[in-house]
Amino acid sequence: MDPKWNEDQPIYRQLRDRVVAMILEGALGDGDALPSVRNVAAEYRLNPLTVLKGYQELVDEGLVEKKRGRGMFVNEGARSQLLKDERQRFLEKEWPKVVETIDRLGLDAGELLTQVKPSEEQGDDND
Amino acid sequence: MTSLVTANGVTKRFKDVVAVDDVSFEIEKGRILGLIGPNGAGKTTLLKAILGLTDCEGQLSVLGLDPFKQRKQLMQQISFIADVAVLPRWIKVEQLLDFVEATHPNYSRGKSEELLKRTKIMKKSKVRELSKGMVTQLHLSIIAAIDAKLLILDEPTLGLDIIFRKEFYADLLADYFDEERTILVTTHQVEEIENILTDIMFINDGRILLEAAMDDLSSTYTELATSGANAATARGFGPIAENQLFGQTIYLFEGVDREKLKPLGDTRTPSVADLFVAKVKGAKK
Repeated sequence: MDPKWNEDQPIYRQLRDRVVAMILEGALGDGDALPSVRNVAAEYRLNPLTVLKGYQELVDEGLVEKKRGRGMFVNEGARSQLLKDERQRFLEKEWPKVVETIDRLGLDAGELLTQVKPSEEQGDDND
Repeated sequence: MTSLVTANGVTKRFKDVVAVDDVSFEIEKGRILGLIGPNGAGKTTLLKAILGLTDCEGQLSVLGLDPFKQRKQLMQQISFIADVAVLPRWIKVEQLLDFVEATHPNYSRGKSEELLKRTKIMKKSKVRELSKGMVTQLHLSIIAAIDAKLLILDEPTLGLDIIFRKEFYADLLADYFDEERTILVTTHQVEEIENILTDIMFINDGRILLEAAMDDLSSTYTELATSGANAATARGFGPIAENQLFGQTIYLFEGVDREKLKPLGDTRTPSVADLFVAKVKGAKK
């Protein structure tokens, strides 16, 4: 299956995002190997340098480690680091907008909480 | 020396027709260059000059050699797949491998056989019995087994169906390409290869319209989708092409700072195909 690249972002960035999503979903666990640059390049028909650039982003972010001659591996704690970053981002960027909407609509906390009950119990399995 | 091919003022005339007109460029090691141009643009003539199949005016150096005068030495280090994968129809696959083994010093028969095992091609089959896609696979299995520094592909996937076209490029990246090798490819189906390329060169009427690294396109070219008053403002920046669709205007800009365009609408980097059309139309004006 061919991935659909959007035209708003460079492909290496989209590749990086895809790996991040896989780590967050648990499809790639700590210590797991990333698919080889050559495989990804061939499979998606991308220039190997593009793939390498995407992987390099992950290395720079400390999520992935390059082991000489063996390839790229997900670092210990990559997922919890990502979750931490994602939570931070949500609280800083998205939550204020949500709060604004709640205020505007005149909803109160009790009313909102009754809506989220079902998933609350299984909510936090990561810490 | 990282420059594999250096052309300086290369010109090729056929009587009163100038097929290649004062062309200069360089191709570096480890790159995949797409040579893109309409029919009759001079692509094949230029490739022939690089392969030493035709003489030309100006200076041309390939792997440090003069392709026309030192063709024999050059041929040991480069590979070529022409227009349509032309292999003699009567030859058997194993005979073909025998032949290449006997004639090419840098050929690894074992590698060819290994690659062929992954296909449905039988050693005893004759080329005539193979489908077009299989002939291309056979061709690639030979090319990939030749330790060549430069691979030249002239419309390698012409006439192949979409499955074989995709497979061809996948195999090329998986089995052939590495940072020590360089590929020069021409094609009409730009969309299919634009993500593979590191560099592009547009050619039209024998002249180079654009030569750029793919990574640099986003800093030079911007596509802007806009409408209304913003469209009029954008027009002031002098787009090289424009297109109207569903009440929206799409402009293509060259050398205009993207930050200046962003407030006027949605910006992005144009596709190679769109850029090519704009450049060819622009050159005709």
